[in-house]
Amino acid sequence: MSIEIRNISKRFGNFVALDNINLDIPTGELVALLGPSGCGKTTLLRIIAGMESADQGEILFSGAEATHLHARERNVGFVFQHYALFRHMTVFENVAFGLRVKPRKERPSESEIKRRVMELLGLVQLDWLADRYPSQLSGGQRQRIALARALAVEPKVLLLDEPFGALDTKVRKELRRWLRRLHDDMHISSVFVTHDQEEALEVADRVVVMNHGRIEQIGSPDEVYSAPATPFVYQFLGNVNVFHSRVQGGYAEVERSETPEKATAFVRPHDIDIARQPTEGALAATVAHVHPIGPVVRVELQHGGEIVEVELSRERHEALQLAVGQGVWFRPRQMRVFGADNQPKPPSEKQAFLF
Amino acid sequence: MSTHKLTRATQEPAWVRYGLLTIGLGFLFFFLGLPLVAVFVEALAQGLPVYLEALKEPETRSAIWLTIVIALAVLPFNILFGVAAAWAIAKFDFRGKSLLITLIDLPFAVSPVVAGLIFILLFGSQGYFGEWLAAKEIKIIFAVPGMILATLFITFPFIARELIPLMQSQGKDEEEAAISLGASGWQMFWRVTLPNIKWGLLYGVILSNARAMGEFGAVSVVSGHIRGETNTLPLHVEILYNEYNAIGAFAAASVLALLALVTLVAKTIVEWRMKAETDMLNAELPGEKTA
Repeated sequence: MSIEIRNISKRFGNFVALDNINLDIPTGELVALLGPSGCGKTTLLRIIAGMESADQGEILFSGAEATHLHARERNVGFVFQHYALFRHMTVFENVAFGLRVKPRKERPSESEIKRRVMELLGLVQLDWLADRYPSQLSGGQRQRIALARALAVEPKVLLLDEPFGALDTKVRKELRRWLRRLHDDMHISSVFVTHDQEEALEVADRVVVMNHGRIEQIGSPDEVYSAPATPFVYQFLGNVNVFHSRVQGGYAEVERSETPEKATAFVRPHDIDIARQPTEGALAATVAHVHPIGPVVRVELQHGGEIVEVELSRERHEALQLAVGQGVWFRPRQMRVFGADNQPKPPSEKQAFLF
Repeated sequence: MSTHKLTRATQEPAWVRYGLLTIGLGFLFFFLGLPLVAVFVEALAQGLPVYLEALKEPETRSAIWLTIVIALAVLPFNILFGVAAAWAIAKFDFRGKSLLITLIDLPFAVSPVVAGLIFILLFGSQGYFGEWLAAKEIKIIFAVPGMILATLFITFPFIARELIPLMQSQGKDEEEAAISLGASGWQMFWRVTLPNIKWGLLYGVILSNARAMGEFGAVSVVSGHIRGETNTLPLHVEILYNEYNAIGAFAAASVLALLALVTLVAKTIVEWRMKAETDMLNAELPGEKTA
């Protein structure tokens, strides 16, 4: 089932949670809503699920108007951050709930319910826990049961609100991969909310980056990472060095054009070269810190009043033999410049850094 | 370092501990234990047969009966109101929510005598609806319906007060999950909400019931003290005592005291069950097992 979101807005008092959101989610896609807390991503998810109503705009399911459809008629599976398992029911009864509350004529027989529930518990690899209570399970197990429960009613859309937010890193990684496999097997549309960029980039087909109730960019994980549409996306996804033309004054002015205009340049730490000799177009700096972190070495350079972050491969670092306090030259290989209006500027022929 | 020294650092000196214990237990003994014992000693002062005879008195029996009838009549209304109010306050945001919370506490703040007078003012023969009721020959004041109304007014906060914090702490995730799985409002209530609040509800019922049976002030104002007709146990105790019928008064009082003791035991059992179940169902996450 495809989902179309048209001009959705929502306010809570004076706070604008969603500001004219437009989004299409085609059938079978796994979409991540990514953004900092308070950006409106959870509100959007709850509006899709029918648990919150929008102030204006409409929602279409498979092209049909669904804005005023009651949550129970939307046929969506919802997975909560804190699982929301029924605490007084066994795992089996939790998963069976959606089948048991069906109207009598649609309700499957007791043996059919048992078969379906055990099949779902098998799917999430927890059939051996059927008689336990939620309190007797670990966090990762609870979330898998919550997924099995949501899938029991054969939803057309799966909505997940920070599904792995309350779990520790190792379990989170495992569940992420598992969710991706599950989504591919079930052929449904899934939307999940996360504030974890790594999670969004790793799992989703498409990433919707949100901020202050607005969509900043929609694109594949690679697009949003390597071609961010706005300064916000640049800063939210991965580390970035920011160079302000005015602040830096004469020696690091960015994109000197005929009309002096305020502009900001964004450079990823791994897009910066360090050299021990001055080269053309390079800036002088001193090494402030050297941190080896796993496969990379993070070097902080003191450049004027600012810290520039550089990521080097271990090999490159071996070759350079940087020491704290040493004078070096650095030069961005790649950068992106945004004008005062926060619109990206086309790459220019001119040297971006002038001294 | 010995364990003895370790515990010393986290404990108060012995004289503080035993001093506090003595004050607490002494207070309990003089203000609760002693009076309770006195009730039974006085009631049984002339032997068990006299005590039982006093209880067999028709007016005493009718008072016991009326007390139970009023408590039972009030109960369904209290449950309905308590659950509905707690539900609305804990699970929804609406205008006037804090006003509703304040109003729920009103019976705690208002003197019971004033509560009784309110009903006289409304339904008494000089009251707002007095003439209309007289024309229809409906008797509320100085009759059982008025006593039920007054008791209802006094006892309705108990269940809501007990359920609001419980339901607030449980949040509405489970209810939303039930709805998204296709449950109707009723199914959600019976299958998800009610099982989660059942012990809290029972606890509230016990408390409001104890208050309903023991209420004196409000009921006294609207009852009219018609012997054998509109006397509950607390009112009957007062009448007997004023007539210097010590055995009768204390015998009736002992029934009230017994009811209180039963309530206490029931309350303790429910508290204990509620805690055991809450601990079981809200247990801390055990360590993550990786498959």
